[in-house]
Amino acid sequence: MSIKDVIVPFSAWRKVFDKPVTIKDPINERPGADRYRGFHKNDLETCIGCGTCEVICENEAIDLVPVEGIETKDGDSGLRPRVDYGRCCWCGLCVDICTTGSLSLTNAYTWVEEDPEKYRFTPGVDEKPWDNEEKGWKKPEPNYEFYNLKRVTMEHLHPEERSDSFIEMVKGYSKEQAEKEADRCVECGICTATCPAHMGIPEYIKAIRNNDLEEGLRILYDTNPLPEICGRICTHKCEAVCTIGHRGEALSIRWLKRYIADQNPSEKYKTILNSEFIEKNGKSIAIIGSGPSGLSAAHYLALMGYEVTIYEKLPHAGGMMRYGIPEYRLPYDQIDKDIDYILSLGVKILYNTTIGKDITLEELGKKYNAVFAGTGLHLGRSTRIEGSDHKNVYQSIELLRKITLGEEIDLAEKMIVIGGGNVAMDITRSIARLQMKKYGKAGVIATSLETEDKMPADREEVVEAREEGAIVDPGWAPQHIEIVDDKIKGLHVAQCHSLFDEEGNFNPQCNLDNLKFFEGTMVVESIGQGMDLSYLSDDIKHELEIDKRGRIKVNEDFQSGLPWLFIGGDIIQGPDVIHGIANGHTAAKGIDTFLFKESK
Amino acid sequence: MSNNILNWKNNRDMFPEADEDGKPIVDLESQKYVKVWQGPNHPGVTGNMSLELTISGDEVMEAKTHVGYLHRGFEKLFERRRYIQCFPTCIRMCVPEPDINEYNLARGTEVLGGIEVPEMANWIRMLVLEMARLQVLLRMVPGQAGTMGLGLAGTWGLYYRELILDRFEELTGGRIYHMFILPGGVRGLLPDGFKDRLEENLVKVEAFMKDVDRLIYTNAVFKKRTKGIGVIPADWVDEYGIMGPVARAAGFERDVRKDYPYLYYDQLDFGYNIAHNSDVFDRFIVRRHDVDTTVDLIRQILNKMPKKGDIKAETPNVLHWKIPKGETIIRCESSRGEYLFYMVADGSIYPRRINLRGPSYTHAVAVLEKLLINANISDVSAIMVSLATCPPEIER
Amino acid sequence: MNELINHLKERFPIYDVVESTTGPTFVSLDAAKLIPMITSLKTNHGFKILVILSTVDWIEDGKFQLTYIINNPDEKTDLGIRIFIDRENASMESIHKLWVFAATFQREIKEMYGIDFPGSPGVDDQFLLEGWDEMPPMRRDFDTKKYSEDTFFPRPGRETNDPAEYMKQKLYPDE
Repeated sequence: MSIKDVIVPFSAWRKVFDKPVTIKDPINERPGADRYRGFHKNDLETCIGCGTCEVICENEAIDLVPVEGIETKDGDSGLRPRVDYGRCCWCGLCVDICTTGSLSLTNAYTWVEEDPEKYRFTPGVDEKPWDNEEKGWKKPEPNYEFYNLKRVTMEHLHPEERSDSFIEMVKGYSKEQAEKEADRCVECGICTATCPAHMGIPEYIKAIRNNDLEEGLRILYDTNPLPEICGRICTHKCEAVCTIGHRGEALSIRWLKRYIADQNPSEKYKTILNSEFIEKNGKSIAIIGSGPSGLSAAHYLALMGYEVTIYEKLPHAGGMMRYGIPEYRLPYDQIDKDIDYILSLGVKILYNTTIGKDITLEELGKKYNAVFAGTGLHLGRSTRIEGSDHKNVYQSIELLRKITLGEEIDLAEKMIVIGGGNVAMDITRSIARLQMKKYGKAGVIATSLETEDKMPADREEVVEAREEGAIVDPGWAPQHIEIVDDKIKGLHVAQCHSLFDEEGNFNPQCNLDNLKFFEGTMVVESIGQGMDLSYLSDDIKHELEIDKRGRIKVNEDFQSGLPWLFIGGDIIQGPDVIHGIANGHTAAKGIDTFLFKESK
Repeated sequence: MSNNILNWKNNRDMFPEADEDGKPIVDLESQKYVKVWQGPNHPGVTGNMSLELTISGDEVMEAKTHVGYLHRGFEKLFERRRYIQCFPTCIRMCVPEPDINEYNLARGTEVLGGIEVPEMANWIRMLVLEMARLQVLLRMVPGQAGTMGLGLAGTWGLYYRELILDRFEELTGGRIYHMFILPGGVRGLLPDGFKDRLEENLVKVEAFMKDVDRLIYTNAVFKKRTKGIGVIPADWVDEYGIMGPVARAAGFERDVRKDYPYLYYDQLDFGYNIAHNSDVFDRFIVRRHDVDTTVDLIRQILNKMPKKGDIKAETPNVLHWKIPKGETIIRCESSRGEYLFYMVADGSIYPRRINLRGPSYTHAVAVLEKLLINANISDVSAIMVSLATCPPEIER
Repeated sequence: MNELINHLKERFPIYDVVESTTGPTFVSLDAAKLIPMITSLKTNHGFKILVILSTVDWIEDGKFQLTYIINNPDEKTDLGIRIFIDRENASMESIHKLWVFAATFQREIKEMYGIDFPGSPGVDDQFLLEGWDEMPPMRRDFDTKKYSEDTFFPRPGRETNDPAEYMKQKLYPDE
């Protein structure tokens, strides 16, 4: 210790002359930093009320509440997050996980209020001074995600392997792939409302994550008795509203469903689904048509204890699923797996039996307690352009049926398909395969009114058709079929520039200056199907209410004007498999209610 | 007087009789002793803890640590939170230096879950940890003088700490609770111009440390009050698990950054700051040198870190992230010493057990209780602060 | 480390040896053998520091796991020793004679898990929870959420909706 130690500390007095460091007016002079985690802001338009912020909030500070002016609709729950600032710790996890990117924190950090209740507010709804503040915490970029935005790629057969065969082309997920894909789900359940059958989608995806596939199958059968089929060809409307799809690729919900069904062996179904013993209730039901709606109704009615008999016109069950969808998309053994299980519940099926010919509907009505008709759309529509009455102009639906029945169809080296829907793609790709087998190369052109971006067919269908050698050339309106010496030479088309008029009615307009000629010796029309109601006698038609567009009116239980007759499926709603299944399920419940009431 | 305390074992006349373990036999009824409570109000740097002191005259005869004023049951809360949800909670286990908790939790989750963190994220983590150490030291080093009535230095220190907190605000979005290091990586790159602004602050800090030297280091009163006070004998160090600056002040080369290199500390150039007298003054000196080391390390990190890179590894969906069954320990060097998490995963989405063991667990209980015996009551807070007691890490 | 484990295997009935490149080696041991083994490690193998004494509640197996992690500061290695004891009337030998400050760990474990360490100084004194008379709170069967709901009152005005459930009510209540 020296004299220095006594003197030097007094140098601190020097600081007296320093400028003070205190900020005089911090609110104005000291804004929060650019990344400051301050008060919440929510873009109501982008937010869909999925509730993932609520799930991740470790303080339970977030509630989901209905907001006036925001409607509940497909893909939007109509709820919005409300934050309780008595609990919030401003960690910003809600921002980082926000599936739509609507939520952010601003750099505002002062808020004075006399009433403590005011600190519970709905960002974006309750107006706040910081609503337009741009600075603040946003989800970090790049490559910073709390869940995977990318789908697990589904493996397909290579175009070379599949272009001349009807072997199933989608390989299905392996266990690792399925679990990885299931991991991406945030369990919001927005998809459930959009699914026509309201399947428990988050629940069965959770079953995959937990590797409890038996539980998964039970969840599937709660609402859908055709999981193998739906797992392959469902129109997956759920995926269109999937929350993950807002910033990334939607979950492959359909393939995950298929994974569950594929992994459960059919011989264990009855044990897993606990359907070995069903108590019969002594009533009997007839079902017309073994398509998705008929089978679905049969399944749920059989489980309720009814004696169910299905009347089928064709030699095999499945309806459009078997006779409309090509085998490479939906193999017959998978259809059989689902149908055989339904038959094992005691459902009887009479093949090659046509209503109106072999037995009349009136007779059915008398013989059974109730009847469900799911007869579908099996008549092809014609374009009615000049030349469309030629014998080499076919309906896609007839050709597809013939292919399934194993009959040989007329084939030419150059063919034209008119239509831009999934059925058109089905026939195009089937023809391409047959051509490949017969001639060694595909020569089919598909054309449609709709332009590429508006084609109703699934995107992957178009891409895959091209991979298989078919030409897809959309955006043309067929004008007339050129016929020389009673032989088709080709199809004249004109560019189509609008489909609907100002009132929204279907009224295609084309540009006659821009013409094109597709060469081909056979034409297939695939522009939609109509229903064949010839099995209804005039007496019955008289009792039913039929609207201007030819649709039969039914109530919400699918009960028609004749109380014992329930009608559902494509002729009422759709057309697609999942609506059919949903209709069948609802109708089954409706029939049960109807007969239960009647017996009282 | 103070030198006598060092040799109290030899000079028993002025003290009560001791039992075999050297523990004084205190008879309160005799009216020779008074019980005094220090705390649990927050004395400034040491948190809400209270000491039950039995004194005779102005000598402490017996000391007992009472904790429990900050118990929030974090370890229990972790057991019902997903791994990602633990990280905004765990930081509260050490208020002045929250980042070590974030790092340990993130690292533990990554080790058990088998995640490889991108290089850039690791460099940023290291920067955050060193900045956190600097801001704690800026409070603790001048704060040591505050315990003896020289509050001026402590107040100065707070301003320079604020400068570092400004940089934290800019980098992490928060001033005290940064919530920046999360399982898989970090939550952002350095903002534009961050390096320069940090460098400006470092220059100011260095200038300030010269002031601290003038005011505290070359201060006759401070030396008189700290030299020879609170001496920890070398043989206590392993026996009591003493670590960090306290162990280094006793001549032990103990620094997790060098002994068990984590992140990229093995690529940085620094040494152990050692002293040998093991008293309050030496612990102050060790921390004073730690400030220089830390400033130097921050500069090294800023120079060596890559310009850009990924900030976060791809992890499973954080909502369903199941960590396979296993257990591990994760340690890092806090400003107070080795900071350790014992983590057990049971294969579910929630941790089975996360147990924190910080330096204060022994420093503030077993060591302090023993060290205070026969200390002068006016030195109690100086000794306490020199051990860097931090009750939240005892109680969690 | 391998050498040490082999050496220990010869002398003590250790099992479930888990070695790891990222953390310490863990071994399991019968409760009765802990004191001899840990004493031997401390005196003969340089494991001078007790790093942590922690507890894990495996309620599904009816066991408590006590984890002793010890450290050799010269070789810079750690060793974790797992001891499994019954949850019923749980009791374990104290190690405060080896490390004085182990008494603090044991006092906390007694309070938080109800595991007794007979002879450990101050083991029955309350540590963190003054006036606590419920079940030791760190046990898995103590439900913190339920306790807080029973003890405190929720803030009024909080209500939330599950998106899927809410959409069902709004869009298809009858199906």
